[in-house]
Amino acid sequence: MRQAAQFHTQYQARYLLWGLGALGVLALLAFPLPFRQQPYWLYIASQALFYAILASSWALLAGYNGQFSFAHMAFMGLATYASGILGRETGFLAFDLSPWVSIPLGVLFTGFVGLIIGYLCLRLRKTYLALFTIAFAEITRLVIKAEVKFTGGPNGLPLKPLIDSTSYVPVYYMMVALFLGTLLLMQLLVRSRYGLYFQAVREDEDAAAALGVNVVNTRILAFVVSSMIAGLAGAVFHHFPSIGLVVPDEMIIGRMSLVLAMAIIGGSNSLVAAALGAIFIHFSLEWLQEIPLPAATLQSLEAHRATLESLGFGLGENGLKTNAWRMVGFGILLMVTLRFRQNGLIAPLLERISRRHVLAEIAARRQAFEAAEAAEAAGERVEGAP
Amino acid sequence: MRLEVKNVVKNFGGLQALKGVSFTIDEPQLVGLIGPNGAGKTTLTNIITGMLPPTSGEIWLNGERVDGMRPYAIARRGLGRTFQVTRAFRRMTVMENMLVPALALHPTANRRQVEQKAREILEFLTLDHLTNEYARSLSGGQQKLLELGRLLMLDPQIIILDEPFAGVHPKLQRTIYDYIRRVREEGKAIILISHDMESIFTLSERLMVLNFGELIADGPPDEVRRMPEVIEAYLGRDEEEEHA
Repeated sequence: MRQAAQFHTQYQARYLLWGLGALGVLALLAFPLPFRQQPYWLYIASQALFYAILASSWALLAGYNGQFSFAHMAFMGLATYASGILGRETGFLAFDLSPWVSIPLGVLFTGFVGLIIGYLCLRLRKTYLALFTIAFAEITRLVIKAEVKFTGGPNGLPLKPLIDSTSYVPVYYMMVALFLGTLLLMQLLVRSRYGLYFQAVREDEDAAAALGVNVVNTRILAFVVSSMIAGLAGAVFHHFPSIGLVVPDEMIIGRMSLVLAMAIIGGSNSLVAAALGAIFIHFSLEWLQEIPLPAATLQSLEAHRATLESLGFGLGENGLKTNAWRMVGFGILLMVTLRFRQNGLIAPLLERISRRHVLAEIAARRQAFEAAEAAEAAGERVEGAP
Repeated sequence: MRLEVKNVVKNFGGLQALKGVSFTIDEPQLVGLIGPNGAGKTTLTNIITGMLPPTSGEIWLNGERVDGMRPYAIARRGLGRTFQVTRAFRRMTVMENMLVPALALHPTANRRQVEQKAREILEFLTLDHLTNEYARSLSGGQQKLLELGRLLMLDPQIIILDEPFAGVHPKLQRTIYDYIRRVREEGKAIILISHDMESIFTLSERLMVLNFGELIADGPPDEVRRMPEVIEAYLGRDEEEEHA
């Protein structure tokens, strides 16, 4: 009877997860329908998916493998620049390659750099790893910025269009495909034996090594895979005709911190949670730029325009502009998460659903174990009785 | 199986932690390793398992020189260990903890079969009711058992157990005793490091004593416990004996 109930709970949890996943995919696919006439929101959604790939691939490295790297945006930029340079018609290393060829080459180049950096970081932990990767990211950005002839310098590098359309609809759907593809790939990786090695190394390198895990290869693999996925996201996204340009300031530490915060708020120990965190934060920040208000409220606020502006707010055509305050709110959310919810805001919810049947099973097994112990103790008492 | 430790020296700056330790284990037996705190027991373990390089000397495992090899390579060659302070993978489930060594050793193994083997071992260790629990939820004693379970999944020929009884509830200690007997019956060699003299003398077939980095005794436990230098260094004299 109890087994049947456990079986039921297990399948309930599994169906619930599959159901939620299917709903999520459907929502992604259906998103352009109401926004066909609003390219701005399609662009924001595509950008949210770009950040979702970055956040989830960072979670693979930091959440699963414990390597807290700040170089993720630098790898994103490196692949994009490498692809852009290989696609140029003139100049050094200009091979006039199609983006369909130059993007994979750029990603491979990033993987190679990731291999070197991953190797150099092998003996670095926590603060030292963070500082090393910050230094690498800043050096990369500054070199790209300084090399005006080669990279376009601060003005950026124009990129060949990946598709022949100025509409945001194909851009959005390609980003959906890239997001789902990379997420699936990373999920397969973390569910394989490599996922176990990643986590074992994160938990205790010496113990993992004593159990036969090749710590060096595991750490480098995590670094290379996450760097290549970040590079792929960057190169594809920037090659869309509606963007068509990469600038070095996209690799600043501030932007890296944004990706990191997205993953932490979602939950860096879950790829899906980190991705959802990125989507949630990106949309929230956009929505908060101008909080929509009813016309009557806007009119009544008009009388207080000067006061609002002195406080750093503003009044737009459709709502209240929050200006820098939205970032203050975002910062507070990050601080609260770090203080009270170190597993993030979304990951615990997902875990509660996915481990529902496990928790029921553990409770039942514990109960059975305790009952057997009690029976054994009672038996011992009877045997020992005079 | 054959483990040869040849004239191993280890210096930490000006401190000589091991002063030319040599011994051989070439048959399935339970070897007790005792010594006062700071005698060099854990240092020796770390050197044998590749966690530390020796300053000089050699370690040979089954005819292959292994000093200088990385710990994972030595583990894959059949030398397993536990740690003095329990080192379970706390944010992984008990089952995941068990799978790590098995899949590291046999990457292409059938996962279902490996999981089945893990379940059998967990049942033996009375941890089967915690299979899907996170290791961090286990008590200290249960985490020790989990570490022992992982070793069985690695299936090494020689096992070094560093203080397996320390801080463990007497009931779980019984399970560890059973575990040691089972491993011994499987034809493996065990090096048991413990301050629990009762366990050492009950279980050991051979006893080695380290003192200030020197191996001062190596032989049958009954002989070793009567050696004056061992009594002096570690076991201590009975008050009555001293008065006599």
